[in-house]
Amino acid sequence: MGKLKGFLEYRRVDPPYRPRDERIRDYREVTTRLSEEALMQQAARCMDCGVPFCHALGCPLGNVIPEWNDLLYLGRVDEAYERLALTNNFPEITGRICPAPCEAACTLSINDSPVTIRQIEFAISEAAFARNLVRPQFASTPSGKRVAVVGSGPAGLAAAQQLARYGHDVVVMEKAHQPGGLLRYGIPNFKLEKWVLDRRIAQMTDEGVRFETNVQVGEDISARFLCRTFDAVVLACGAEVPRDLVVPGRELSGIHYAMDFLAHSNRVLQGEIVANADLNAAGKIVLVIGGGDTGADCVGTAIRQGARQITQIEILPMPRQWNKSENPDWPYWPNILRTSSSHQEGCERLWSITTKKFEGNNGKVTGARVARVTWQHTAGTRSFQEVPESEFTIPADLIIIAAGFTGITRGKLIQDLGVETTASGTIAVDATYKTSVPGIFAAGDAVLGPSLVVRAIAQGRETAQALHTFLRSGNSLKANCQR
Amino acid sequence: MRSHHHHLHPTGLYDPQYEHDSCGVGFVANIDGTPSHDIIIDGLTILKNLVHRGAVGGDLKTGDGAGLLFQIPHALFERTCAKQGITLPVPGTYGVGFLFLPQQQDERQDIERRITALITEQSGTVLGWRDVPVMPDCLGDMARATMPCLRQIFISVAGHAGDTLERTLYLMRKSIERYAIENQIPLDSFSIPSFSARTITYKGMLDGPALHRFYQDLSDPLCTSALAVIHQRYSTNTFPSWPLAQPFRYIAHNGEINTLRGNINKMRAREATLASPLFGDDLKKLFPIIMPGGSDSAMFDNVLELLVAGGRSLEHALMMMIPEAFGPAYHISTDKRAFYEYHAAIMEPWDGPAAVAFTDGRKVGAMLDRNGLRPARYYITRRGKIVMASEVGVLDIDPIEILEKGRLAPGKMLLVDTEKKRVLKDNEIKALVARHKPYRHWLEQNKIELKGLLQVQSPHAQGAPELLMQHLKAFGYTFEEIDKVILPTVINAQEPVSSMGNDEALAVLSERPRLLYDYFKQLFAQVTNPPIDPYRESLVMSLMSFTGRERNLLDETPEHCRQLKLSHPILSNDDMAKLRSVNIPDYRIVEIPILFPRTSDREGLQKALDDLCHCVAAAICDGASLVIMTDRGICPDRAGIPALLALSCVHQYLVRTGKRHLAGIIMETGEARDVMHIATLIGFGANGVNPYLVFELIAHLKNQGRLPATLTVEAAFENYITALKKGILKIMSKMGIATIRSYRGAQLFEAIGLDSSLIETYFCGTPSRIGGIGLSEIATETLLRYERAFDPAARPDGEPLPSGGSIHYRKNSERHVLTPEAIVSVQRAVREGSYEHYRRFADTINNHSRNLCTLRGLFTFKPQNPVPLDEVEPVESIVKRFVVSAMSFGSISKEAHETIAIAMNRLGAASNSGEGGEDEIRYLPLPNGDSAMSKIKQVASGRFGVTSNYLVHASELQIKMAQGAKPGEGGQLPGHKVSDIIARVRHATPGVMLISPPPHHDIYSIEDLAQLIFDLKNANPEARVSVKLVSEIGVGTVAAGVAKAKADMVLISGHDGGTGASPLSSIKYAGSPWEIGLAETQQTLLCNRLRDKIRVQVDGQLKTGRDIVVAALLGAEEFGFGTMALVSLGCVMMRKCHLDACPVGIATQDPELRKRFRGAPEHLINYMLFVAREVREIMASLGFRTMDDMIGRADVLDTNDALRHWKARGLDFSRLFAMPPVTEGTARRCTTPQQQALADVLDHDIIAKARTALEQQAPVELSMCIRNRNRSVGAMLSAEVSKRYGAQGLPDHTIHCRFYGSAGQSFGAFLARGITFELEGDANDYLGKGLSGGRIIVYPPKKSLFRAENNIITGNVALYGATSGEVFLNGQAGERFCVRNSGALAVVEGVGDHGCEYMTGGRVIVLGNTGVNFAAGMSGGIAYVLDMNQLFDTRCNLEMVDLEPVSIAEEQRFLYATIQRHHRYTGSKYAEAILRDWDELLPYFVRVIPIDYRKALKRIEAETKLPEHTVVTEEVY
Repeated sequence: MGKLKGFLEYRRVDPPYRPRDERIRDYREVTTRLSEEALMQQAARCMDCGVPFCHALGCPLGNVIPEWNDLLYLGRVDEAYERLALTNNFPEITGRICPAPCEAACTLSINDSPVTIRQIEFAISEAAFARNLVRPQFASTPSGKRVAVVGSGPAGLAAAQQLARYGHDVVVMEKAHQPGGLLRYGIPNFKLEKWVLDRRIAQMTDEGVRFETNVQVGEDISARFLCRTFDAVVLACGAEVPRDLVVPGRELSGIHYAMDFLAHSNRVLQGEIVANADLNAAGKIVLVIGGGDTGADCVGTAIRQGARQITQIEILPMPRQWNKSENPDWPYWPNILRTSSSHQEGCERLWSITTKKFEGNNGKVTGARVARVTWQHTAGTRSFQEVPESEFTIPADLIIIAAGFTGITRGKLIQDLGVETTASGTIAVDATYKTSVPGIFAAGDAVLGPSLVVRAIAQGRETAQALHTFLRSGNSLKANCQR
Repeated sequence: MRSHHHHLHPTGLYDPQYEHDSCGVGFVANIDGTPSHDIIIDGLTILKNLVHRGAVGGDLKTGDGAGLLFQIPHALFERTCAKQGITLPVPGTYGVGFLFLPQQQDERQDIERRITALITEQSGTVLGWRDVPVMPDCLGDMARATMPCLRQIFISVAGHAGDTLERTLYLMRKSIERYAIENQIPLDSFSIPSFSARTITYKGMLDGPALHRFYQDLSDPLCTSALAVIHQRYSTNTFPSWPLAQPFRYIAHNGEINTLRGNINKMRAREATLASPLFGDDLKKLFPIIMPGGSDSAMFDNVLELLVAGGRSLEHALMMMIPEAFGPAYHISTDKRAFYEYHAAIMEPWDGPAAVAFTDGRKVGAMLDRNGLRPARYYITRRGKIVMASEVGVLDIDPIEILEKGRLAPGKMLLVDTEKKRVLKDNEIKALVARHKPYRHWLEQNKIELKGLLQVQSPHAQGAPELLMQHLKAFGYTFEEIDKVILPTVINAQEPVSSMGNDEALAVLSERPRLLYDYFKQLFAQVTNPPIDPYRESLVMSLMSFTGRERNLLDETPEHCRQLKLSHPILSNDDMAKLRSVNIPDYRIVEIPILFPRTSDREGLQKALDDLCHCVAAAICDGASLVIMTDRGICPDRAGIPALLALSCVHQYLVRTGKRHLAGIIMETGEARDVMHIATLIGFGANGVNPYLVFELIAHLKNQGRLPATLTVEAAFENYITALKKGILKIMSKMGIATIRSYRGAQLFEAIGLDSSLIETYFCGTPSRIGGIGLSEIATETLLRYERAFDPAARPDGEPLPSGGSIHYRKNSERHVLTPEAIVSVQRAVREGSYEHYRRFADTINNHSRNLCTLRGLFTFKPQNPVPLDEVEPVESIVKRFVVSAMSFGSISKEAHETIAIAMNRLGAASNSGEGGEDEIRYLPLPNGDSAMSKIKQVASGRFGVTSNYLVHASELQIKMAQGAKPGEGGQLPGHKVSDIIARVRHATPGVMLISPPPHHDIYSIEDLAQLIFDLKNANPEARVSVKLVSEIGVGTVAAGVAKAKADMVLISGHDGGTGASPLSSIKYAGSPWEIGLAETQQTLLCNRLRDKIRVQVDGQLKTGRDIVVAALLGAEEFGFGTMALVSLGCVMMRKCHLDACPVGIATQDPELRKRFRGAPEHLINYMLFVAREVREIMASLGFRTMDDMIGRADVLDTNDALRHWKARGLDFSRLFAMPPVTEGTARRCTTPQQQALADVLDHDIIAKARTALEQQAPVELSMCIRNRNRSVGAMLSAEVSKRYGAQGLPDHTIHCRFYGSAGQSFGAFLARGITFELEGDANDYLGKGLSGGRIIVYPPKKSLFRAENNIITGNVALYGATSGEVFLNGQAGERFCVRNSGALAVVEGVGDHGCEYMTGGRVIVLGNTGVNFAAGMSGGIAYVLDMNQLFDTRCNLEMVDLEPVSIAEEQRFLYATIQRHHRYTGSKYAEAILRDWDELLPYFVRVIPIDYRKALKRIEAETKLPEHTVVTEEVY
């Protein structure tokens, strides 16, 4: 620990967002950065706990947070990056977009405010790029094994990078135009600018990972081909089936899934396509159904597109308001009211609202008929009841459904491979990420269901480890198939 | 003293070889050599008066042993033999053998026939046999049942007399003993107490008074001798063992040889090169020199006998075996120093506390070891008699008769030469011996020193960093280890401190490869011998050794010291380069690699080891004097054999083949880096260690800029070596061992998790009680590390080191008992009062398939018939067995400490004050009816705040012998951390450092512990007394000793507990799991029929109800919680207690942090109730209705086979679960309270007579006789005062008692204010212990003729822990006068060594000489020493104090007035003379003032208070 009692000496400082009026005019990242000195003070607040809950219960990656906090405080950025890169393949990404469960678990969250772990992670990783420390890594000897990774979201990328570093020949297959999956198409630029991703993809390419884009595995490449060509396969194809809102009027135009809306925006900004007016919020009254992070991303995007007015509704009650910096549910993620930068940019938020139906005119949506609900807690479950006579209409000409996802796309690939799936619509795996088919592994949202980027990276890494062990023990998918 | 007898085979964990005993010794002699029967009678009288230093067994009658060694009573034998028709020749021409023979007649006759034959074979004549007349009626039942047939044999050898006859008798006896060994006749069936033409030993399994009645010979007026050596035994065991009684043939030993295993091995190896013209070819008949099965004292006697028979004088031999300290702090002659140094190359000390009385029949004497921790006082009378014993007052001698009263000082010898008719004092004896040969010249010409070797260049050659990285990984280094161990060590030159104990998985249960060192645990001294303070008393310690070829032990030549002298055992990389590059004549150095092929399995490693042994042996046969065993050659194909395995394997092979002493072994290994590693290598036989990789790493860290810019790489190396040296000294000192020469090879470790066949083959003699891994797992562990280091899939530029996780928790790394999830669940449970969350916590901890860390994790319960839950004892009663373990105020905050007390008091359970005293305000109830008083008051070595008033406010007094986190060590609270409040509670001065010494200075032996228990019983007769021990091999036998010392409860602490700050290596590597220690304790107490007399408590990482049930089944009645009490109050295991940075306000005194404390009594109460609820549920499932039914039912425990992983497979708990058979109806728990012998203490009489004073404060004067058997006089009286008047006591002089005679130990202990004790006579040890305001005056009998100021008037350790009061002594005191005095005033006319040690307050005036090491660790108070010969500064330890003249007028007046009072109280003529010549003498007074104390006084004077926020967390060195 660099500074004993640093936490008594320095208060937590969060870098401010760029001014609202400035930031809504562009898609650049909204957060600003702390100065080097301020960062070192923040790092000095880390207590190097005997039981670091941030690392143990907070971070799914098990980032060794106290180690690099201390090294940053000591100004030893090279070593800090070395320790950071030990557990995290993409710290420059998690340093930007991770909700930071580590901070919720920080011991200082018990009765003080947590260490600004994410800021420190971000600073270390950007400094590492600036110092050219993020160099390709190779194994001493190539293994001669070929591995296919299906999907290039965070899980796929992490798995691919790890596998390449173990010395395997890795091909990542991506159905979209560019690799990155959710990172590229789901997250708005104002949270993660895409050059960050490009820089990482380039580094991975240097490490020998090959990216095959515009490839729909199962269609363009058969499952059979995959099995005969590769020694192992990682399925990291995400959980892409959105949860629908089946109410009258759903068929009206102007109602879209959040991911379609966000992907459209991202693709337009990347010049992949031209804007489709139907998916653009410019001049529209927007209703976002779903109070989660995806919903918030839609709010921010709609604002930047020039929406006239934005409402976000949520069926769940408003979480408790908590203004203190300590975590009431330490060390776990607290259920408290969170206000994102997007919300601050202008949006009305309503809670305990259920959508009864969509109203329209000429096949075009004009609004949503909603009602207020009350929630009851009984024996561990909760249920809601509509408040009688509470219905009202929220006018909208663009409605975005951000109600989560239900599972993987059960397309041809899954059928042909014959991997078993779970009741909740994800791929079934054992503790070592093996699917029902020997040699085929799965990771990320495809296994977890929708989750955090940091969990996807963690799974990607763990899958790679398991797969490496599988190959080292002399097993091979290819060999199995040929037999 | 440890015994190795075989009458009892080890059952379960109880092994008789760990028994200890300790004793009273002494001798009496007519200096002119005139034999008289009086001497025998005197000897027997001494024994009677030392009876309280012995003990009796479970039948309350069988004494532990007593005996008398004296000259052959020729007149008696002549008469009795004549009656049998045997004619004895003239005295000195025949020998008498005293034999303990089998009772069984045919067996006996068999042996007797054989004896006769053996004697005849060696040209001896058996003159006859005699049955020794005895009175078996006076024996205890147990002694009687095992009484041997006692016979004497008379032998002559034609033409032999004097030394020649003695040698022949020696040969004959050894041949007979060898016959017994070869025919496997156990020592208990047949032994030879004495076999000499000069001396005879009468001894037996009885106490002193019984000895007289038992042996009728002793009452016969014809039984005469000019000298008699006596011995009274106190043993931890209760089994009668006749051969173990002392004296032996030459010595009576009060002490314990801690380094025995090493001494035995070294002697065994030396046998191969023994030669002596005195014996010629007969020498082989003497083998084995050391008779197996004897006790350590018996073995010492064996070797002493060899040295004497081989031609050395008795004094010379003793100076070799128990050399005094000869370090630079001692002013001794160069010749004497050279003598000791020369002999250091020949024989290692037999190290341990010792008072030895010895005789060869012509000379009789006594000596103390270098530490002088056992008392030895003597009187010389005008009529030419000398009496030496452990206490004074053992013989009634008219004061007018006394010529001199003295004591043996540490390392000193006293000898009576009855032929020269003189008493020889130490200087004279040693000057003669030291100049007997030109040792100084021999040494100068032959010894080889490293620093004298040619300077060669070998800058710490740097390999590529990748290579370093690979090597670091191959040897298992981690990021944590570098960051948290190596760096702090290098920067601070001492090993790092940590806190909150150790909850890491045991090595044998870890999934990860662990270094072999992790399977060993350091042993430490508790109770039976004291640890040493390696810092304040470093002068007695030495790391110097010689290494090379040893020569014939029975000869002395210049070549004997042709060896390499190492000033310490750590060799730097430069040193190694020097050794390699120079060519030393007559000193060949050979290098042998310790590698094995990476592709090896078990056989490959075994073969590599076999080859290694042969290779080393061959090199030695070739003439190598020094072997360097090295793993420098590791590479992708060849792995290093674990250095410890390689070393111990070779060492033991060489011992077995008689070659070990022919060459030194230096271990050059990349594996060793921390203090424990080095200590283990030395402890298993290495002469030196070169941890090369750590030096390379340090250089690398320097290059990386990880070291401070001001620290050069050379200084960093030096710091690292310094830290290792300190650490080794500390590890040695824990066992009470002073020299590395005797520590080396002493194997003072216990293995946890190593297979017995592995131990037998490679670590023979090391206890390992639960089995564990073997060679194949060791090979696997080594190779796993190798694979990681040389992984082909690894990045060529090197992967970073793994995080570690051994100290701080890391995911996917080492497991810890307390997982993050468990902490969160339990805190939620206690805050919300949710048993559901508690269950989640308990399940996490108890889920051993996921989190196997502890031995109990492998236990299961055998299925039993359950009982309904409502029939089980209620939670409220179960919880009363729970206590919160000792945590001092100072180590934790006021808020936390008081919350714990309130919670436990509400439950009707108890909390513990810890060792920091307690604020008296807490004795009063709180307004809401709560009490914040700790019911258990601890008495630890620092005695902070231990006053009569503190002791009466307790329902339990706990003597802390050791603590789990750092057994055998002391601690210190730096001055800047002693705030006003801490100072007040601890009776100290704010800003002045407080030191807790490693030993209790009133417990150097088991009989001392009995004395302290007796003191405390007197100080508070209502409180029970408990003794806290830490689990290690032999803890059970110590517990048995504790039971015999009449403690009411014994606490067995696990090694892993400990909330306070401690050195990391102590946290990790000392002590053993409580499961083993508790089981051993239970079994040993049962075997010794003591279990029903004492309660047993256990603590150490107890967390769940399941833990409690396991502990109860293994034998515990009560249970202590430390860590979990804190966790329930909010502790999140920061492990920052030592840094005062606790973010939850528990282990801190920082007011800002204390505000963050959110614990409440309800939290702790909830936790305790939940645990009890879980206990109750398990009890129901196991069919136990009451806790009492469950205690000791180890048969219910079983091993969980399903959970066994690759390392744990070899574990075997059958010995742990053993249940010693007991007779029907005998309880396996405590049923009968101890019978304290308080009925006849003198205080009852005093209290009765002082009733008006106690009740109405009316002054009372009393007078009475006193003798050494009257112990702890004043303690009970003081309790009466404190109960009524609190700390304030009575007005001065309210109770005035006059005593006449020799007072027993602890005279005036805890004497309260208002009481004056005036003693005409003298006193024993511990006078004024814990003095609490009273006054003690001692002067010699008015009619005595000697000069009081030149004679000893009181024993050792006077005023230990005194807090206030006054003492005036008209005479000299022994060692450690005023140790830990924090407020009393004392005047004395001379003191022994270590005066005013650890003193923190008060005033001491010494009107005469002092011994060495005065003021060591003295942080407060002022001493004034009248330094007439101006040598005081050479004897004073100047580390913490300044010496000044007494220049302030006010102080001059104080000094004068106090000496005046001294004169008035004691009538000291010496004081009178000083006062008369005051003006001339004043300049000779030296004022000794601690530097910090002076600052503190100035600050107090200026009334500037310490800032409130000073840090007050307990710290350690």
